[in-house]
Amino acid sequence: MKEFINWMADPIRSFPVVTLLYYLMMRYYRIVGTKKFAYISLAVLLPVVVWFCTDPNFVAIILWPDNIPINIIIVLIAWLTWYSLYRCAQNDERLEQGLTPIEATPENREKVWTWPNLVYVELMCMIGTTIFLVVWAIIFKAPLEEPANPTWAPNPAKAPWYFLGLQEMLVYFDPWMAGVVLPGLIVVGLLAVPYIDTNPKGNGYFTIAERKMAMWFFMFGWLVLWIYLIIVGTFLRGPNWTFYGPFEFWDFHKVVAEYNVNLSEFVWVKWLNMPMPHNMIVREFLGIILTAVYVVVLPPLSATTKWGKKLIGDMGKVRYYIFIFLLLGMTSLPIKMVLRWLFSLKYIIALPELELSL
Amino acid sequence: MSGKGFADKVRETQVWKSIFRHGPPNNARNRAAVIAGNVFLHLHPIKLKKSGVQLGYTWCMGGLTFFIFLALTVTGLLLMFYYRPTAEYAYNDIIALKEHVPLGIMREIHRWGAHAMVITVWLHMFRVFMTGSYKPPREFNWGVGVILLVLTLLLSFTGYLLPWDQLAIWAITVGSNMAKATPFLGHGGPGAALAQIGDFVMVSDKNDVRFQLLAGRFVGEPALLRFYILHCVFIPLVVGTLIAVHFWRVRKDGGISAPL
Amino acid sequence: MSEETRQQLNRREFFSFITVGWVAFTAALAGLGSLAFRFTYPNVNFEPEMDFVAGFPTEYENGVDERWKNGFGVWMVKQEGKLVALSNICTHLGCVPNWLPAELKFKCPCHGSGYYMSGINFEGPAPRPLERYKISLNSDGKIVVDKTKIFRYEMGQWDHPDSYIGV
Repeated sequence: MKEFINWMADPIRSFPVVTLLYYLMMRYYRIVGTKKFAYISLAVLLPVVVWFCTDPNFVAIILWPDNIPINIIIVLIAWLTWYSLYRCAQNDERLEQGLTPIEATPENREKVWTWPNLVYVELMCMIGTTIFLVVWAIIFKAPLEEPANPTWAPNPAKAPWYFLGLQEMLVYFDPWMAGVVLPGLIVVGLLAVPYIDTNPKGNGYFTIAERKMAMWFFMFGWLVLWIYLIIVGTFLRGPNWTFYGPFEFWDFHKVVAEYNVNLSEFVWVKWLNMPMPHNMIVREFLGIILTAVYVVVLPPLSATTKWGKKLIGDMGKVRYYIFIFLLLGMTSLPIKMVLRWLFSLKYIIALPELELSL
Repeated sequence: MSGKGFADKVRETQVWKSIFRHGPPNNARNRAAVIAGNVFLHLHPIKLKKSGVQLGYTWCMGGLTFFIFLALTVTGLLLMFYYRPTAEYAYNDIIALKEHVPLGIMREIHRWGAHAMVITVWLHMFRVFMTGSYKPPREFNWGVGVILLVLTLLLSFTGYLLPWDQLAIWAITVGSNMAKATPFLGHGGPGAALAQIGDFVMVSDKNDVRFQLLAGRFVGEPALLRFYILHCVFIPLVVGTLIAVHFWRVRKDGGISAPL
Repeated sequence: MSEETRQQLNRREFFSFITVGWVAFTAALAGLGSLAFRFTYPNVNFEPEMDFVAGFPTEYENGVDERWKNGFGVWMVKQEGKLVALSNICTHLGCVPNWLPAELKFKCPCHGSGYYMSGINFEGPAPRPLERYKISLNSDGKIVVDKTKIFRYEMGQWDHPDSYIGV
């Protein structure tokens, strides 16, 4: 059983599984967002977690002091995601019946005094957080390793946990993409959200039915591409950034046969049986064409589809193309992951001469 | 005057009355006065919609982020009493903070608080998205929030180097090497190879963005000092300013979001 | 009418003053900004020496020699009659790979890039092979490694006579 879980946890399998779970969760949020579902899944999950915690390797990795925040965030996100789905399901049911969302009922629109209603809530939250932080600080010592030594890298060398999603992307992309362009696109994309999402509904209350598209894209990026990758990068990457299952001992000498091939090698060596051409543009022609198609041809092409036409009608051309561009940036990650897993593809364009590999 | 407790007597002293210029907040007039008359509380409106008070709606994550930011400022200031940002002393000072200083959990509170702040910022953004609170008229404030999110991560990241241990130096090496790959601005990024005139390399490891960040080609003592200044002075100042803008705009954009 | 013209002229003059003022203000800001920017790049910095003497060529066995790794960040690799000074900085994100003698490869702990003994990358995300440093013999017959000069495989620079010494 443990072997099976170790085997399943490898991103090759767990990424599709998580994506599928995400799809089911969003598709059937009316079922997920019920108290009954929450109790049942809690009843199922608690014993599983306890059973997980009987394994010394698993406990060692989750109790590593710098990993504690991730345990906390996993619990909080599981709970808050369920809770938002619960609120969404409630509101959407009311909206279907022609009622207002709960937040818009007359008693909730009523104005109350800030003192004492709000200030006491804030005070309680502050006290609770203070107690939580102090207890956390007493139980777990802040990690301190050996003094800095610039000539010897620890194994594995990890970034702070909130950047481990980016570090995990580095497995699939070059630093200029994973470290600069994609984070830049995340920030720009977040900034652009209120200007792209022209849907006036769902302002100030929980709902999925009234803003399906925004929810589906955002939650995918947030839960699957960000949180899931952080979990992988934290718990499942050991020495040499090799994959280790949750119950696996971090054996420094684990050997993983991995040989990644560039698209240009596929084209010239495997398919055409020719030596690689010297001119780098000729060598990489297929990758360049494919990338150009992805970035330049796909957006206008998508605008001619029924979906694209409807969106352009709703939000106008400028917004639409910005949206599509950001979306392509986001989907480039799963695309590259799948290509790597299926074909051991290293780079679509490999131009180390210009440091421009994709 | 019989039947009055000690508290009532305190309330009637000149000192008390000079500080709180209104009676106890148990009627409408005084409840308004306590919020409007106090420089800290007047961040709040005097009245607000009921949904804005419910934890089920707000999750209180934005408020907690601010609170943790304040807690980090205080603990950070205390830590600065004992910490010297040099390669020679930094590591030993961190050990001293644990062993030679009373209340040896100050660094723990600061470190875990920093993690907690990242968590609360993310969850605050999550909630704001789920309730669609970035929609007009709050688009601009969402943008301010995104910048604050990035700055929070940078604050945490710059603080990561300060203990000057193996964890710190390698996390920063990996992180700052991404700056090296910035297109056109980093010597290891796309475009740098094109910016070359004969033998003269325009973007080299001595003049790219990474050099500016680290004040050198490696993570060394100048980088430690630079990160220290960024962490303790520069970024907190920017964050503080933007927090003021953020809170001001929450009020000006109509308070905590609610159905239109 | 002349009155009116004068007023118009005055107004025009007034606006041109404002323009000049704004241009001067912007220029001053830009100047101060670029000075501040230049200020962040020190003229001198105190980083470790970039060249060192690495003993006699006869001291090296075939294979990878790690004696200069910790002090200078260099592996001496002797293979096929050539001795080269290989950089120990991973071309991916600048971590320091480990030499795994059992598997005859360099393996980077950060993101799992692997390199053959020659320095050529074969696994993981590294975009290009490890760099080689300039290596030469001084008048005493000792090896001198100069880290300021880099030779990169994908640029076809590994054939350069300064990038290796024949042994």
